[in-house]
Amino acid sequence: MAMVDQPLYPIAVLIDELKNEDIQLRLNSIRRLSTIARALGEERTRKELIPFLSENNDDDDEVLLATAEELGVFVPYVGGVEHASVLLPPLETLCTVEETCVRDKSVESLCRIGAQMREQDLVDHFIPLVKRLASGEWFTARVSSCGLFHIAYPSAPEALKTELRTIYGQLCQDDMPMVRRSAATNLGKFAATVEAAHLKTDIMSVFDDLTQDDQDSVRLLAVEGCAALGKLLEPQDCVAHILPVIVNFSQDKSWRVRYMVANQLYELCEAVGPDSTKTELVPAYVRLLRDNEAEVRIAAAGKVTKFSRILSPELAIQHILPCVKELSTDSSQHVRSALASVIMGMAPVLGKDATIEQLLPIFLSLLKDEFPDVRLNIISKLDQVNQVIGIDLLSQSLLPAIVELAEDRHWRVRLAIIEYIPLLASQLGVGFFDDKLGALCMQWLKDKVYSIRDAAANNVKRLAEEFGPEWAMQHIIPQVLDMINDPHYLYRMTILHAISLLAPVLGSEITSTNLLPLVVNAAKDRVPNIKFNVAKVLQSIIPIVEESVVESTIKPCLVELSEDPDVDVRFFASQALQSSDQVKMSS
Amino acid sequence: MLKQIFNKLPKKSSKTDSDELSRSSESPQAAGKSQQRSNGGGASLKRASSSAVFPASMVSGIEPLVPFKDVPNAEKMNLFVSKLSLCCVTFDFTDPSKNIADKDVKRKTLVELVDFVASGSMRFSEPAILAMCRMCAINLFRVFPPNYRANGVVASGGENDDDDPMFDPAWPHLQLVYELLLKFISSSCLDAKVAKKYIDHSFISKLLELFDSEDPRERDCLKTILHRVYGKFMVHRPFIRKSINNIFYRFVIETEKHNGIAELLEIFGSVISGFALPLKEEHKIFLWRVLIPLHKPKSLGVYFQQLSFCITQFLEKEPKLASIVISGLLKYWPVTNSQKEVMFLGELEEILEGISMVEFQRIMVPLFLRLGCCINSLHFQVAERTLFLWNNDHIVNLIAHNRHAILPIIFPALERNIKSHWNPAVVNLTHNIRKMFVEMDEKLFVSCHAQYKEDEAILILEAEKRKEAWKQLEQVASLKPVIGNTAVLVSPLMT
Repeated sequence: MAMVDQPLYPIAVLIDELKNEDIQLRLNSIRRLSTIARALGEERTRKELIPFLSENNDDDDEVLLATAEELGVFVPYVGGVEHASVLLPPLETLCTVEETCVRDKSVESLCRIGAQMREQDLVDHFIPLVKRLASGEWFTARVSSCGLFHIAYPSAPEALKTELRTIYGQLCQDDMPMVRRSAATNLGKFAATVEAAHLKTDIMSVFDDLTQDDQDSVRLLAVEGCAALGKLLEPQDCVAHILPVIVNFSQDKSWRVRYMVANQLYELCEAVGPDSTKTELVPAYVRLLRDNEAEVRIAAAGKVTKFSRILSPELAIQHILPCVKELSTDSSQHVRSALASVIMGMAPVLGKDATIEQLLPIFLSLLKDEFPDVRLNIISKLDQVNQVIGIDLLSQSLLPAIVELAEDRHWRVRLAIIEYIPLLASQLGVGFFDDKLGALCMQWLKDKVYSIRDAAANNVKRLAEEFGPEWAMQHIIPQVLDMINDPHYLYRMTILHAISLLAPVLGSEITSTNLLPLVVNAAKDRVPNIKFNVAKVLQSIIPIVEESVVESTIKPCLVELSEDPDVDVRFFASQALQSSDQVKMSS
Repeated sequence: MLKQIFNKLPKKSSKTDSDELSRSSESPQAAGKSQQRSNGGGASLKRASSSAVFPASMVSGIEPLVPFKDVPNAEKMNLFVSKLSLCCVTFDFTDPSKNIADKDVKRKTLVELVDFVASGSMRFSEPAILAMCRMCAINLFRVFPPNYRANGVVASGGENDDDDPMFDPAWPHLQLVYELLLKFISSSCLDAKVAKKYIDHSFISKLLELFDSEDPRERDCLKTILHRVYGKFMVHRPFIRKSINNIFYRFVIETEKHNGIAELLEIFGSVISGFALPLKEEHKIFLWRVLIPLHKPKSLGVYFQQLSFCITQFLEKEPKLASIVISGLLKYWPVTNSQKEVMFLGELEEILEGISMVEFQRIMVPLFLRLGCCINSLHFQVAERTLFLWNNDHIVNLIAHNRHAILPIIFPALERNIKSHWNPAVVNLTHNIRKMFVEMDEKLFVSCHAQYKEDEAILILEAEKRKEAWKQLEQVASLKPVIGNTAVLVSPLMT
């Protein structure tokens, strides 16, 4: 207790630590800034700690990053929102450093603090800070400033608002492309806070400038903002200002720009309304679907469903569907794959007749694609088609596709198809499953790759969940349990794993009569790895079965294992015994 | 500017164009005129500059023009312009069987043009310069296709990634166009005062964009050309420097992806050697804000040699910058990348080689703190490379002079190596250096040794004290709950 009487200088501890050569120690002390602040109390935090931090800006970037992050949640430690402005100076300095992550984090923290600050404080402290950064000599400050306008603007008085808009306009024409890029990136956020009247004038002229920038990279970011901006405008303004730009961009010579348009286009449809969508955006989109550059087609193909959803079925059938047909035989496998991942979603949009007539042939051809990803993508979205036309029309072609994927030489492909088996089973129904897929599920349990065996065990469990314990007992459990006698110990281990997963699903009775004897039997295996896995499985079974079973069967087995010559077996057996005691005590 | 040029493009794929061209073969004068006429004609801007979008495949045949030697001198410049506009036709090279004859006509014409420019027989007229820039713009300024390897789109099991860079199939023509442009710019017949109107900021920007090409041959051509442009067009020098800096900034700060950093640095290597003394502030900022941060990207190895050369050039100009450069290196010193660390050590040695005593003393304390860590590196190449510094007489001399400051810093590192480094060669080298210090100043060595023993004890004590201080702090903190007006945000790190 005598220690408490000693004077304690929290700042001294920090300063001392920050001088340390070991960066890890410096980082640790920054991470505990809040402790220091609390020890100091609010007032001394404001008067001593924060000024000290403002000066300590020549450290390693990693330490600066941590500082920027900590300061973002520091408002309570300086005495709440009315004192939040004292946190601005250190963050302002951090906004100007070279390293991008430090600057980004500082901007983020400033936004977080600014969002809590009182209006008057924002006007007195935050807005001047934004203006200082925006006129910073070095471009890093100006880059950072762009991300702060949307916080500063709403609380500014009218005159200041005009000034802020002007400054932002200047940033968009900055000499350094880095600044222009940042301004373009943040334009959407800023525009969302600007009044509608100024939106049409100031912001749109800024946007126009950006879209005509001579740097590809700047224009690219301007496209990215198109959709966000479009949503802020009235439909007629959007048609007048954004639409021509985006249509123009969709024919840009840079594929990156066209790619960006392909990604954004459907969002704009909502903003411009159905008429302009029909006359302007559909042709633009169709052009992108037929673009010369595969990369652009990939982006466009990935959006066919979203785009079709916005259109009327007639339009989709008339304009989009022909392109979809072309894309399904595209020379690039990635285009086909992108298409396959979304095309199933078109079924509900087009309705039953069009789906059967037009989409089904495409599904079937994609199901036979030479590239496994394409087939997988189709199978993964099967449920969407099932809702519209039923699975029967597809099931004929489905099975060969599944079997082929199940035996693919890339294990990741096999893994992917296993993941979809429960979905398939639920869609195809018990009958289909029994005939065709059951054997595959057993085959996977003996795969050469661990991940596949692991997934296969999990799959068996999910099937049991899907179709219920009774069905499982009839159709899969006997086959699974058969394999416990496999000569290969790794396969025996897989079965043990499967049992531990199945036990909770199948319930106490089946577990104790059907599963448990096998596990207990496996305790006599000659491979120690099997034996300690038995111990682990038994431990997981204990809470499931009746206590009498634990006492009569599980415990004796574990006791025996706990005297095994192998150290690991003994370890896991005693662990299981311990946990069984705990279960007993708690019940 | 470029837009103006583009607007004056002839309709390159139209029949009339080739008709005009074929007619013009009879009379070079007519060719000049027809050129003028078609200049005013329709602008096929989109088509010309977007060969990536629509490979110009439906070009009707082009006819060769008469050779230069068959026309009187007075007509040669007009013929030159006609031949240039003939070369504005671009072909689809993805299909080698297409337009074989036409491609050959263009190739031969380009060769003729190269020879003509090389002969340097007459001054280039303004229309000739315009035509040249336009032809280069149409042929060279293109958007590179996507790089499938770099994008994460590919999921094909990763078996067919051959690491060959993607080469433009049109290279046979591109190469000639580059050669022509180079000869043209270096030609004494080109008046820079006139040409600067056409070889303007926009033209230079587009040239610079091409440096991202994956084809090293193309980057090499560009490097030579840009170098000549820098030499010839004094007015554009600040712009060129600024634009290249922007590329560097973007590379370091935003993308870390660019194929031409090495070439751009190579240009700067000779630019720096031309800087006047005393160095302008702008150039020092360049060193500090651009060259030194360029040490940061992980692809440093690709352009390290050129970067290191630039740095040495700077230090040869102004040796007083050495301590600033070293402190910059220390700032960007790699933490986990041992290969980069070895490069840094190499560059460091080169700088130390020429450093003055004063500069050395300015930086030695932080420097040797860092070198102490390098000596202890578990990567034996890093440790070895550091210890090799002692093979350098100049460096040993500097160390010997300042041994009172340096030995106490690195003594613990040496001891630690001898005690526990896994690599025998490193241990051996460390022994040698230890011996060197003993021979240098035995008294100092003994006192350092004593200090080391003492420090070790203190270190443990300090760690204890630190722990205690934090414990106390935390206790005090927990007694003083926060009374801010907002809800208390307790970061998960503190308990």
